[in-house]
Amino acid sequence: MWFIYKLTLRQLSGRWRLLITLLLTALPVVMGVIRSLVEDGPPDAEFQTGVVGMLVGVIMPLVVLAIASAAFTNEIEDRTLANLTLTPIPRWKIIVPKLLGAISVAAPMIATSALIAGYFIYEGDVKAILSTTVGAVVGVVLYSTVFTWAGIMTTRAIGFGLLYVFLWEVMLSGIVPGVRFLSLNHYSVSVMRAIDERRFTGEDMLSSGVAVGASFGVLVIFLLLSIRRLRRMDVP
Amino acid sequence: MTPRSSAHAFVGSSEAVIRVENVSRWFGNVVSVSDVSFEIKPGITGLLGPNGAGKTTLLRMITGLAAVSDGRVTVFGETVRNNSSLYSRIGVMSEHETVYQFMKGRDFVKMMGQLRGVKDIDNAVDKAINLVDLSDAAYRPMGTYSRGMRQRMRLAATLVHEPDILLLDEPLNGADPRQREHFKNLLLSYAASGKTVVLSSHILEEVEQLADTVLLIVNGKLAASGDFHAIRAALNDRPYHVRVISDSPRDLASALVKLKSVDAVNVDPDGAIVVQSRNVRDLQIELPRLAKALAVRVRRVEPLDDSLESVFGYLVDR
Repeated sequence: MWFIYKLTLRQLSGRWRLLITLLLTALPVVMGVIRSLVEDGPPDAEFQTGVVGMLVGVIMPLVVLAIASAAFTNEIEDRTLANLTLTPIPRWKIIVPKLLGAISVAAPMIATSALIAGYFIYEGDVKAILSTTVGAVVGVVLYSTVFTWAGIMTTRAIGFGLLYVFLWEVMLSGIVPGVRFLSLNHYSVSVMRAIDERRFTGEDMLSSGVAVGASFGVLVIFLLLSIRRLRRMDVP
Repeated sequence: MTPRSSAHAFVGSSEAVIRVENVSRWFGNVVSVSDVSFEIKPGITGLLGPNGAGKTTLLRMITGLAAVSDGRVTVFGETVRNNSSLYSRIGVMSEHETVYQFMKGRDFVKMMGQLRGVKDIDNAVDKAINLVDLSDAAYRPMGTYSRGMRQRMRLAATLVHEPDILLLDEPLNGADPRQREHFKNLLLSYAASGKTVVLSSHILEEVEQLADTVLLIVNGKLAASGDFHAIRAALNDRPYHVRVISDSPRDLASALVKLKSVDAVNVDPDGAIVVQSRNVRDLQIELPRLAKALAVRVRRVEPLDDSLESVFGYLVDR
């Protein structure tokens, strides 16, 4: 598995992909820094919610989409996936290192963004910063699992991912109450609340038990779906 | 007897190591391979057919990369699809030349060896790279390789675990004459050690120089199979059509029809002569002599059915 993990890290660390995702993850930090420079006093709750909402609801899914969907899409388009499938290793030993590779590239960027942005918007409140960072990393893991599966299902994973993020996570989960039970964004924010109840409040929050259970369910289901797909697909 | 030990019984024996039984594959309404059955024994087997005949699809089903729509493929007596343990004994080189551009050639071969559980990996890698005569370029990124070098390094990666079966799809694409010769010798010595080599090609001469047995695939069906020389003899026996344009077609046609090498002669309304012959070699010698003797100026001579498709078509219709 180590060889596939290393290979995936190298494949996902293309210059342009990293540059674009770094620029995206820098946005919350820039907003926090500008706010601290131009306004006196602590940031209000609306600003804090807005920045964290942007990081977790938009930037994180887009960054993970750009990275995780490429874990398989690139190999399928380059026709190099057969190098891995024509070896005597079980399919899960291809899927797991690919997923870990995607998480390893995306998580440090998102975590760093959450840490630094959290420092500015929560004025050094360690618990709030920690909860934001942990929740964001949980989100990275969940989105990576879904988008890695999307990458193996279709070469149009980016299109699928964009529709999913903006239609389901951004629009529908904000309008239709029940959707939050099937929203990765809500799982992520609910994990933040489980660590710091002072900052993350709201009627539509899931309980920590439901959030952790649902997150685990998403992880297992999409891992199994990816393994099943790799077993059944015609490898180009 | 465990499956593994029974599988080992195939190597170097005359038993079939690959069995394709009534295999079909269709994509929507398009039938790519239709009810094909054959067995492959140790030695070199050529999968021959024109482009688009279904060779690659068939080879992909034998490797397990593609599923069969109907029928069964077994390798060493085991179903190959979703049977990853078999890949420690199979080496596959697809027709696609894509490689990890950023990776050094040696690292690629080493990774492929490690993924297949090769012991004493460094020696195995050196041996495989030496076999393809690419030691000098082993530490260069593969993105800097020529097409032929990429093919050779891919072959090294295919050979690194010394598979019992080698499946190669159009392996000589992009190779220069020297590399082709090297490649051919390599495959011949590999097969001589009791291993099984299956290579697909649309080039008759390529298969002729390598394969003991030929499977001829045309339009997704097995058109002929067996000893290459018998198939080649059938090919030599087929009638050829040659179009001759001259300044005096009637005189030339009258003389041509008397030649032993000529079966029939027709003069088209546009004045071109179409000669049917089963002995084109003699016709090539006799036609200029005849034209010179008759003082007829021959402007153009062209084969009408020398394409590979027509050759395969002849065998199918026979």
